[in-house]
Amino acid sequence: MSDQSNQPGGHTPTPEDIDQHVEPHMVTETIPTKRRQIDLWRKVKEERLFAFGMFIVVLSIFLALLGPEISPYDPNFATGNVSVPPPPILEWPKLFIDTVFRGADPPHWFGTDNSGLDVFSRTMAAPRTDLSIALIAALFSMILGTTLGLLAGFFRHWSTEILMRTSDLLQAFPVFITAMILVALSGRSTTNIVIALTVVYMPIFIRLTRAEVLGQMPRGYVEAARAVGNSEWVVAFRHVLPNSLVPSLIQLSTTVGFAILLTSGLSFVGAGVRPPTPEWGLMIAIGAPQIILGEWWQSIFPGVAISLTIFGYAAVGHGLEEDYR
Amino acid sequence: MVQRFIVKRVLIALLQLIGISLVVFFLIRLLPADPVARIVGLNATAEAVQQAKENLGLDEPVYQQLANYLGIFSTSNDDGILQGSLGDSWVTSSPIIEEVTRFLPITLEMITYALIIAFLLALPLGMSSGTRPGGFADRFTFVWGLFAGSQPEFWWGLMFVFLFFFVFQQAGWPSAPPPLGRLNPLMTAPDPITGFIMIDSILRGRFDVWIDAGKHLMLPVFTLVFVVSGPIVKMVRQNMIRVLRSDYILYARASGLPPQKVARYALRAALAPAMTLTAIIYGFLLGGAVPVELIYSLGGIGEYSIRSILNLDFPAIQGTVLVIAMVSLIIYLAIDILHAFLDPRITF
Amino acid sequence: MVVDTKDAPPAGTSSGHILEASNVNVRFPIAEGPDVYAVRDFNLAVRPGEFVGLMGEPGCGKSTAAMSFLGLVRPPGIIETGTVNFMGENILTMDDEKVREMRGRDIGMIVQNPRYSLHPMIRVGDQIANVYRAHNDVSKREAWDHAVEMLKMVGINDPERRVKAYAHELSSGMAQRVLIAIALSSRPKLLIADEPTSGLDVTIQAQFLDQMWDTCRQANSAVVLVTQDLGIVANYCDRVVIMHEGTVVEDADVYTFFKSPQHTYSRRILELQREAQEAGESVLGKIDLSADPILEVNDMSKLFPIRGSESKVHAVERADFKLRAGECLGLVGESGSGKTTIGRCVLRLIEPTEGQIVFQGRNLADLDTSEFRKFRGDLQIVFQDPLDSLNPRWTVHQVLSEPLKLHTNLSDKEREDRITELLKLVGLEPSMRFALPREMSAGRQQRTSIARAIASNPDFIVLDEPTSALTPETTAEIIRLLMDLSAKLGIAYLFISHDLTTVKYICHRVVVLYLGQVVEVGTKDQVFNRPRHPYSRALLASHLFPDTANRRVDREVRETLSGEIPSPITENLPKGCYLYGRCPSQVDKCRDMPQSLTELPDGRSVRCWRVAEGDLPEELLAH
Repeated sequence: MSDQSNQPGGHTPTPEDIDQHVEPHMVTETIPTKRRQIDLWRKVKEERLFAFGMFIVVLSIFLALLGPEISPYDPNFATGNVSVPPPPILEWPKLFIDTVFRGADPPHWFGTDNSGLDVFSRTMAAPRTDLSIALIAALFSMILGTTLGLLAGFFRHWSTEILMRTSDLLQAFPVFITAMILVALSGRSTTNIVIALTVVYMPIFIRLTRAEVLGQMPRGYVEAARAVGNSEWVVAFRHVLPNSLVPSLIQLSTTVGFAILLTSGLSFVGAGVRPPTPEWGLMIAIGAPQIILGEWWQSIFPGVAISLTIFGYAAVGHGLEEDYR
Repeated sequence: MVQRFIVKRVLIALLQLIGISLVVFFLIRLLPADPVARIVGLNATAEAVQQAKENLGLDEPVYQQLANYLGIFSTSNDDGILQGSLGDSWVTSSPIIEEVTRFLPITLEMITYALIIAFLLALPLGMSSGTRPGGFADRFTFVWGLFAGSQPEFWWGLMFVFLFFFVFQQAGWPSAPPPLGRLNPLMTAPDPITGFIMIDSILRGRFDVWIDAGKHLMLPVFTLVFVVSGPIVKMVRQNMIRVLRSDYILYARASGLPPQKVARYALRAALAPAMTLTAIIYGFLLGGAVPVELIYSLGGIGEYSIRSILNLDFPAIQGTVLVIAMVSLIIYLAIDILHAFLDPRITF
Repeated sequence: MVVDTKDAPPAGTSSGHILEASNVNVRFPIAEGPDVYAVRDFNLAVRPGEFVGLMGEPGCGKSTAAMSFLGLVRPPGIIETGTVNFMGENILTMDDEKVREMRGRDIGMIVQNPRYSLHPMIRVGDQIANVYRAHNDVSKREAWDHAVEMLKMVGINDPERRVKAYAHELSSGMAQRVLIAIALSSRPKLLIADEPTSGLDVTIQAQFLDQMWDTCRQANSAVVLVTQDLGIVANYCDRVVIMHEGTVVEDADVYTFFKSPQHTYSRRILELQREAQEAGESVLGKIDLSADPILEVNDMSKLFPIRGSESKVHAVERADFKLRAGECLGLVGESGSGKTTIGRCVLRLIEPTEGQIVFQGRNLADLDTSEFRKFRGDLQIVFQDPLDSLNPRWTVHQVLSEPLKLHTNLSDKEREDRITELLKLVGLEPSMRFALPREMSAGRQQRTSIARAIASNPDFIVLDEPTSALTPETTAEIIRLLMDLSAKLGIAYLFISHDLTTVKYICHRVVVLYLGQVVEVGTKDQVFNRPRHPYSRALLASHLFPDTANRRVDREVRETLSGEIPSPITENLPKGCYLYGRCPSQVDKCRDMPQSLTELPDGRSVRCWRVAEGDLPEELLAH
């Protein structure tokens, strides 16, 4: 209720500070001395959905950093046991105690696939592939996209017109197929997947930032920044850019989710990372033919991992969006 | 006015198509993939490589290849785009147009049904949750919208196969058919008229096919509805909340309009953005339903495009991208025109 | 809607009141923190045919209170307790269908933002007809014809065509008339008008209020007019009700109120206005109007091209004026008059198409942009919307540092001292230094903006409607601050405003603009008391000064203009005098004869050949 901020209230604290003639009465408000920041911790405590999202985000980053190192089996090395189903859930506590305190061999919590790889270890190790591809690609596309979007929105010029037309054209491409072409034709390496994802997601950021910049341009503070005597570049980068970042920052977490989806989708159809890299989509693909035979465990766990990860990132994105808007 | 708007939009769409075909053409040639090696094998003799290059037309300079592709100043005997041909596949040697017209309707049929169902489901769900924000239905719709908005549809598809085919069969319940195509292999499909098997079977009076095709389409369509309804529900809900808080709804109530009339005012305003979103998702699914097609072995345009890409079948890649882009542009155009009719604020 | 009536007093129909609201409380649940009571123990009674002005600053709950007379509240609010007796029946406990019938039939409503209150996708005719059909048993055809008739009645030209229009195709003045057509279609006994003229131009506002006043008087409808404009209240209302923090603090006859307001809050509103006037007058006498000007604008024009069209928007046409040190020049006009564009052009925030801006002996219009930038420290501006004109991510400290870094060579220490000094000059506490714009009140935001403008010691400041986004109270404070600064620092102001009341207080000379042209320039007394140009006369006559001595509704002739302001596009502009078609004094010759600005013997200039030739004698304006 912004229009209540004008309500007159108590009285001026220190008369000598204020030219009395100018200000007969003052409003006492609580004046923060520091800039307000989003209180993540408070949000985590108060909002269950956001807390869940943050948990997933933190866990996924942790696994991306350390997953392969702390997994019970080598995610790339087949054990002798092929197509072992996971132990019944009721035995898990006992097995856990046996492993941790009695030094028994760790069980295959999630079973093994038909070449004998441990599904649990691979599910844990996969974030290093999925998440790093997704995070790096999302960050690259955001940095490039916001910069280009700022230029396109702020400076009206034939070159920025061409930029926008090209970006529009890229958006008219079918995303999945374009990514497949880019990866399959340039070699199925992690780097190439990152490049493909960056290309595919950049237009969204260009468009978002440009729209936001165009929305900021008629704002008074932009004109005020000029009236003070700043050059156009200073106005663009110091005033307009920081005020146009919010939509892109919110989009970032959604894009990470989509990028995970696309990375795993590409591997699923055989146009992503090469086997036997531990990667969720690939694991689902390997397990897919076994599903009709009843070997559900090979695909179900990596799938749950993707599903929860994407949901987690979406929940964080949504939470931030609510706070910023 | 309307005609001018449509003509203008069609012209822009044509320009976009030209742009897209050029970009694809250069993109696949710039990327470091060697289709010749793929076809003749790595150990082939130099003559064999040269022969293959000539056969594929890759011995010509790039600008000449482009000319042949487009069909202007062509040096080849084959037709180009301007003559209405997308070339022949390097793998099967049959015309791309023929292959695409065989595979495209399969995908179109699946996503059309999925989106119609999703839209019809999302509308009442989103509206009822938007009318009573904070209620149970609203909480559910909200989480659903957030959750299903981006989910690995290929994995969900597998899970549905596992549940409705494997588990149901084991339990002896009536189960879904195995995910192996769009018809029981013992059944012959009617000759295509529209390419939509559910429609063709009725037109040809083959009700047995209609029932079997329906069973086979059930799970893929369900998978897509599951994933796609999320964002549409979310959109309808948000719009409904926004519209119900608007000044014109408050004013309509303040002028004593009956509740049914007020509800119609609200629906009118909330509908258009949801429709646009549905169209955008349609365009996205054209190329994005690949994994679902794969799981159910439907053999649609998506599967065809993977095959072409992995085989480095350049004419087929160019053709599919162009056709998919064209269909989505047609859909966007149709929605824009519909939108303009619904909303007078959009100027022609 | 939860209505708890056990605390309410027994319903009574005594005393012939048409509406009696008693002890109304409206609560808004807030997600974080305690609930807010927008309306608290609200009491109001309205007699048939009476015009009641419901006044108060923004956020005081006046709109919410007005809405509660219909038993409505904006979501997520709740009318908690109280009774609203309309013709003896309590609306808050009536069953839904009965209240529904009463809304629009017995109680009509018009609101601010008329264009947003009409459905964007339904023809206005259908919207009027739908409401009419909701209360009267008529066919679709009859309802449609009634809609046309209503539009004619509220003074819309060409109603047969307008009835098919959509909201976005109407000007706000016209959309407001459509609302009044809806509200009055079933001849209600009570009309609730919630700031019906906010956002309308002065002459259109007068047309509209006159129309509303006449129509309601004819039908003997009572009106509750919600407003924060003292001028409207003084000129149209019989009674004034002042609201403050959700409750009624004063309820008085309009003459009594302006003569001797009772409540401290009411007193302060009127007092501040008087003080602002005095502060202005104290500075006004001290300026030497024969000194050399510091800024001269010669023949400045600005034409905006229209994409895909040959025609142009004539925002400013050959504007000419001078300013002397310490002088305050008022620039007045309605929307489309080009006043804002002139302000921007002088500072080259918009590049003028042609003309000279002479400052310190140099023509600033000729300088290239980087060279001109050096002059930015000397020529400053304060914008209309204080929140909008401050970078939302910057603290006051950052905002004030920027001009100091750009235009002075102060050391870090000196700069801090200067910022402290500036804060003191504009009356901000030192603790405000690290506040963000959204954490401050609108008045403080505008003070920050002013501090930024004076930081580099400018000679000249454009004040672009610096008070129009503020409450009357804050307006008075800001005007006083500006006058003090002018007296202390000798800054010249170009004061752009549509609020003639404010201009009257503080300007030495006044320029009147119409459709991009200067139509009259003169001293304040000349323009305000004896305006010569027909447009100036209509403008001043239409302006509602907060004074009950000569109320507009009591005047025999209410001077005004007919029609609406055309948009200043090449093909829309009249060939001869731009006022042709709206002017009460026009003759045939005016149609084709272009007008030029002519100086009269008394020193003022007027763009009207009839005035120049003495056809239109000088007359005192009644206001």
